[in-house]
Amino acid sequence: MKSNLIRHIAVALDCSPHSIASLAAAAELARWMHADLRGIFVEDINLLRMAELPCSHEIRIYTAEAEKMELLPLERSLKRQAREAESALQRIAEELMVEHSFRVYRGLVPAEVILAAHEADLLVLGRSGRSPSCRKGLGSTARKALAEGKRPLLLMRTGFTAKEWPVLVLYDGSKGSQQALATALDLAQPGITLNILILGETPEEALVMEQELSSTITLPDTVIEYHHLPLHDGKTLARYIRLADSGLLVLSDRMKLPVETVHNLINEIDYPVLLV
Amino acid sequence: MALPAKLTPEKLYRTCNPQEFSFETTAELDGHVNATGQERAIDAITFSMGIRHDGFNLFALGPNGTGKQSSIMHFLADIAPNAPTPSDWCYVNNFENPRKPKALKLPAGKGSSLSRDMEHLVEALFTVIPAAFSSEEYQAQEKDIRETFQEQQGESIGELEKKAVENNIALIRTPAGFAFAPMKNGEVVKPEEFMLLKQEERDAIDEEITTLKTAMQSILAQIPKWQRETQEKIKELNRNIASFAVKPLIAELRNSYESLQEVTTYLDALENDVIENFDKFLEKESDQRELFPGMAPDRFLQGGSSFNRYRVNVIVDNSKSEGAPVVYEDKPACYNLVGDIEHISQMGTLVTDFTLIKQGALHRANGGYLLIDARRLLMEPLAYEALKKALRTRHIRIESLAQLYSLVSTVSLEPEPIPLDVKVILLGERSLYYLLTVYDPDFTELFKVAADFEDELPVDNAGKLFYAYIISSIAKKDGLRHFDRGAVARVVEHGCRISGDSTKLTAHLQSICDLVHEAEYYATSEKREHVEARDVQHAIDAKTVRASRIREKIREATLKNAILIDTASEKIGQINGLAIYSPGGQSFGHPGRITARVRLGKGEVIDIEREVEMGGPIHSKGVMILSGFLGARFGINQPLSLTASLVFEQSYSGVEGDSASSTELYALLSAISGAPIGQWFAVTGSVNQFGEVQAIGGVNEKIEGFFDLCQARGLSGKQGVLIPASNVENLMLRSDVIEAVRNGLFAVFPVTHVDEGIEILTGIPAGELDSSGNYPPDSINGMAVARLGEMAEKLKQFSESSSEDEE
Repeated sequence: MKSNLIRHIAVALDCSPHSIASLAAAAELARWMHADLRGIFVEDINLLRMAELPCSHEIRIYTAEAEKMELLPLERSLKRQAREAESALQRIAEELMVEHSFRVYRGLVPAEVILAAHEADLLVLGRSGRSPSCRKGLGSTARKALAEGKRPLLLMRTGFTAKEWPVLVLYDGSKGSQQALATALDLAQPGITLNILILGETPEEALVMEQELSSTITLPDTVIEYHHLPLHDGKTLARYIRLADSGLLVLSDRMKLPVETVHNLINEIDYPVLLV
Repeated sequence: MALPAKLTPEKLYRTCNPQEFSFETTAELDGHVNATGQERAIDAITFSMGIRHDGFNLFALGPNGTGKQSSIMHFLADIAPNAPTPSDWCYVNNFENPRKPKALKLPAGKGSSLSRDMEHLVEALFTVIPAAFSSEEYQAQEKDIRETFQEQQGESIGELEKKAVENNIALIRTPAGFAFAPMKNGEVVKPEEFMLLKQEERDAIDEEITTLKTAMQSILAQIPKWQRETQEKIKELNRNIASFAVKPLIAELRNSYESLQEVTTYLDALENDVIENFDKFLEKESDQRELFPGMAPDRFLQGGSSFNRYRVNVIVDNSKSEGAPVVYEDKPACYNLVGDIEHISQMGTLVTDFTLIKQGALHRANGGYLLIDARRLLMEPLAYEALKKALRTRHIRIESLAQLYSLVSTVSLEPEPIPLDVKVILLGERSLYYLLTVYDPDFTELFKVAADFEDELPVDNAGKLFYAYIISSIAKKDGLRHFDRGAVARVVEHGCRISGDSTKLTAHLQSICDLVHEAEYYATSEKREHVEARDVQHAIDAKTVRASRIREKIREATLKNAILIDTASEKIGQINGLAIYSPGGQSFGHPGRITARVRLGKGEVIDIEREVEMGGPIHSKGVMILSGFLGARFGINQPLSLTASLVFEQSYSGVEGDSASSTELYALLSAISGAPIGQWFAVTGSVNQFGEVQAIGGVNEKIEGFFDLCQARGLSGKQGVLIPASNVENLMLRSDVIEAVRNGLFAVFPVTHVDEGIEILTGIPAGELDSSGNYPPDSINGMAVARLGEMAEKLKQFSESSSEDEE
């Protein structure tokens, strides 16, 4: 059932903790799937414009002092960040012997990232970037990628790695969920536990789906566990996922669940998500 | 004057009759040895061991090999087991000041059990603490606290962001902080567009941004405070969780040791420390394994995350002891006495902790007895001072020598001193004792009791039986063949010979022990069931032969006349003296020629040995005594108009001792009187100014030395030795000498006065003063007076003619 269709992985880098976790996960996946790794760094045009405005001041985090923003120091600072991002990419790619490239773009970050990842088979992003309010939900780039339908999309967060992670797949028999399962199987490294959460209308239907799956999935060295959940509302699902605490969540927004429910679920749970 | 008779064979040797022993062999004896003949020393030991007051330590003095140590050990073996078993001592971490480890006193056996309990506790903590901190309850609480902070921060900034957005102002994250900018259609206004705005609009935006900026600054100023509060809350939570996990385990331990105040206090401190350092127990299991082999003290010193800090270093473990300890420290170096603080090298740096504190002999002997060889103690740098300090302060304070002398400059410890209650027994030679008494004022304060061991034992039944028991105990201890009573008797006789006195037995038990082993070796070679007298004799002879190379060389040189010793003719002013040589501990005697020549002079006796600085002071004193004797005897009525010179012929290595002074006097008398001396005699003995012959040492070896030479040349029947009569008691001669005496081939003359001696040597009476104050003219003295008169006359004539010539 392995499709192995992922050949190019794009990863957005902004030196935030989530983006560093994204880079590590992307590199690990690239190694496992023999894909190449493309680093994307976007110089935020908003920042550059701001530096040219007469009224703009930067308030320093650790001193709370305000200083007039200047374009040149800002550009230098962005270039430094880009260099750091590139060297981080280079380091991990060489360590894992993954083919890699790195490009710097300038523009509005969400749009540029989506554009730059256009040709990639998988886009890896941090759940949130360097957001001002340290929000829990998704950042602007993640929201845009979700909204614009870039698939597959991996939203990473700190505290998780792609190496030997447990995987939880949402399966309801829909084409989207079948594709999610196929991708999860692609990602399933030997020795991991693959949890399949079957969302059936009735227990009987869920059981039938489980039987079908168990007869078709043969993956040596992988433990597959089936779970059933009859309810379809997002809140119950979110609660279940938190309780299961099983790492990467693989799902599709072309399931029987409404797209909004899926997107709200992704926004709400604080786990890495692979949206297929 | 009646001449002394030759000594009979019975006088030359005191035999020990085997029939005096009631046993057949030493196997019948129980091997238990009492310190016979050492009653004075045993009394001193009993007194010293009995008195528990400061300073009543013991110095056992006496020559090496006299059984000082074994006597004391036997004594202590009787009393030590009945004394109370001393406490265990442990060093534990001082959590407040790790440089000063604490000493814990526990009842015997409790130290090791506390150590085990602590190891189990740490193992348990590695299970309990991670379990507590991985519990859902803890995770949820910690997450709540962190999220509260995030929310607090996020909400404040979020509200500000919302307010900004309402006014078309964007809050943007910059590389180093935050910034506000006017916004249009979700993007920051381009600068050129901004410049196209009216001044009022720009001012309004400016004003709005300034307000927002101020608000943001005030939020950012709050963040450190929120962070601190969050950290405090997390710390408090951690403390509560750790405390909840740890307390039951430590409470269990506290119950086990509730009667021991020091331990419970330590456990309280430990509990607090574990709670404060709970995070160290959350590290990987592999780290834990590294820690227990004791290889991570650096972490302990650098901030207290090592689990060594919870170990118990059992310095003194009396779990298997019964009674008071008796410790003999063979190498009394300072660190072996008071203990040491070892260091280990980590990354090129020397580090230590309380687990590297090493016990010393004082720790082991605390509450009991410590035996130390005094000479070895004094030879170890600073060891004696360290011992005295411990005894004076009654505490064992471990100090690193390297630190004291700045040989290393690294982190070290000051362990809490341990109270000391010990009896120290120094074993040493008498000279050491006397030197210490004179030169060290502390010594007499700290070693108030001296046990003076005898060098000799009386040859009575108890003494002989003591030897038998000694032999029995050696045989039993070393698994040797037992001695029959004949062999024991022979050992007793040899004991007399070693002591140099037929009425004494040597107390140098090491020599007896050696003889026992050697005799047993020959008995084994001969496949005898028991060691017999002939085996003992074989061992004695073999030992003599083994050490005889130099003696044989000298005798060979004498027989070849390279060393001139006349044993047959008569000579004026020439006599055979007897000297003792002691190379390598084996003594032997050999004759040496002494000659005297006289000439006109002023009455002085020139000791050529002294003139060339080859004579020792005692020898010189002996020669000066001769001047005194000659002056008193012959210089009363006329001046002594002679100068006499005395020399030990062919002596190349110096002369010491006065045992030849009578010999020199005989040579002088012969030279002055002109009476020849029979060279078949050899003479030994010192003399006083009255001509009385006094005792000397090594009489047996001296007689045997002359006998051996005479025997080699052939015994004539005339040959013999003149010895001081007071040395007759010392005679324990070899059997071949005794046999020759018995057969009339050799003789030993006991002499009390030189007048007896000169008559034996010359065959001419010495002569006594008659009523008119003159000696008989044909006596030695008469001839000497006549000769001296002639010399005085010649000197007078010579002086007169010289005076006339000058006129």
